[in-house]
Amino acid sequence: MSEEIWIEVGSTDSIEEEDLIRFDHQDKTFCVYRLTDGFYATDGICTHEAVHLEDGLVMDDEIECPMHQGIFNIKSGEALSPPACEDLKTYPVKVDNDKIFIKID
Amino acid sequence: MKNNVIILGGGQAGIFAAREIRQNSSESNIKILGEENLLPYERPPLSKDFLLDKKNEEDLYFHSTDVLKNENIEFENISINKVDFENKKLFAKNDDVYSYDSLLISTGSENKKLSLDNNLKNDVYYLRNLEEAKKIKEIVSNKNKITIVGGGFIGLEIASSLSQLQKKVTVIEIGNQLMGRIIPKQIADIVQNTHIEHGNEIILNKQIEKITKKNGIYEILLNDNSLIETDFIIAGIGSTPSVKLFENTNLKLDNGIVTNQFCETSIKDVYAAGDVSNFYHPLYERNMRLESYQHAQNHGICAGKNIAGVKTEYTSIPWMWSDQFNLNLQLTGICDDYDEIIERGNDINNGVIHFFLKNKIIRGACGLGIAGKVGRDIRITSKLTEKNTIVDKQILADQNQKLNKLIQK
Ligand SMILES: Cc1cc2nc3c(=O)[nH]c(=O)nc-3n(C[C@H](O)[C@H](O)[C@H](O)COP(=O)(O)OP(=O)(O)OC[C@H]3O[C@@H](n4cnc5c(N)ncnc54)[C@H](O)[C@@H]3O)c2cc1C
Ligand code: FES
Repeated sequence: MSEEIWIEVGSTDSIEEEDLIRFDHQDKTFCVYRLTDGFYATDGICTHEAVHLEDGLVMDDEIECPMHQGIFNIKSGEALSPPACEDLKTYPVKVDNDKIFIKID
Repeated sequence: MKNNVIILGGGQAGIFAAREIRQNSSESNIKILGEENLLPYERPPLSKDFLLDKKNEEDLYFHSTDVLKNENIEFENISINKVDFENKKLFAKNDDVYSYDSLLISTGSENKKLSLDNNLKNDVYYLRNLEEAKKIKEIVSNKNKITIVGGGFIGLEIASSLSQLQKKVTVIEIGNQLMGRIIPKQIADIVQNTHIEHGNEIILNKQIEKITKKNGIYEILLNDNSLIETDFIIAGIGSTPSVKLFENTNLKLDNGIVTNQFCETSIKDVYAAGDVSNFYHPLYERNMRLESYQHAQNHGICAGKNIAGVKTEYTSIPWMWSDQFNLNLQLTGICDDYDEIIERGNDINNGVIHFFLKNKIIRGACGLGIAGKVGRDIRITSKLTEKNTIVDKQILADQNQKLNKLIQK
């Protein structure tokens, strides 16, 4: 079993509702989202052509890629609309003392 | 009721229509007739990642045979060369006959050809399908100097890809800017400079007078008497809707097949979608024909709904992209009907967008940026256009202010 590593992303007020921030850790990029019902995290790079999703648009539970409008479900990572066809990896998120943490493996 | 649906043309609009019909009707027989012996596939990578070997053939298919099998959608590789709308029949070259209750025409578009001497007809290449992309890829692998005729999206994307393959590329464009007048000159010029910085030669305002071939090398004579020597010629000079089949029928044609907002043509039970259709857009209150990925998909889905009896208006805001080098260009709405232009940003690292407004409402926008830099703003623009929102021009013009402030909830 891999060790549980929770990484601090920042404070909860660093993300506006229905928005996201990019978070880089070591050589990886993540996107952390604030939706109406809480915080979520996914890989930060689109599975279609490796563009940063931080420039994309969050709509309800979905993130739309800024390059070709591929759409992913933020909570499940599911690719919902072409040209995106490969799912996006998601990560568990917790909030502790107004700070956001994501668990990466 | 059992509905026998035939989809003529197995491209993007066709496959999305087929799956949508199945979603709404488990009963219908759905058959796609396609002249390419390939399951429906994406065309955008043909001029980009496929030429660059970043994507291969398997990556291009929308769905596997399994998906079609599971959804009971039949695909037959056949070219139709005659239609009888009165008796609801299609005829193939080999005399096979296909009867339908509902017909969707999604035959796409075809490339315009240069008028050339007969002995050179097979020497100029065009790019529309996978077979042509494979041929081009194979031939350029042992050529060096390549000339692209036409500075439109597809020509420039090929120029970008071939430059990345270390080829010496020349683009000849008849107009005074790249990508036609629909793209603001300032944005076209940035794209042009990027090509030049990567070593591509861009020749504007010139026309080809004559092409001659000597010892396997071509000499292209331009109308200012200059001469270009080249190893290989590819032309991308625009396209026309694939409607030859219908020219002597009652089907109403005018720059494609004329359809209303429900994808219905002038003939009952005959629908059209994608590149081939000149459709009525209720928001813009006019007909338009688009050649874009997103449109082919959404229009196909809308046609599928209507064929399955779920009456649905097509109101999607036009959107398309073009990728050249590390630039991503996006167009939304219509950019030829405006009384004011507002510019946002002046640096491609953060994105440059020109908004086209009429009566204070955004009708369309064109943006250019590194990778996805204009994507979010262009997408919000589509939403503002869709809702006919009167916009605050200061926010539009100020890149430090987020555009989603303008969306009225
Ligand atoms: C090289 C290239 C790059 C592109 N890049 C982009 C891009 O970056 N962004 C973007 O938004 N759009 C792009 N497009 C446009 C986009 O791919 C098209 O708009 C889209 O494919 C249109 O879908 P369609 O279903 O209408 O037609 P198509 O996908 O062209 O499908 C039509 C099919 O019908 C078949 N057919 C025609 N006549 C018959 C017949 N008589 N019998 C049987 N079959 C027939 C054809 O062979 C074809 O397979 C690009 C297009 C090309 C060619
Ligand atoms: S890069 Fe994200 S959809 Fe293409």
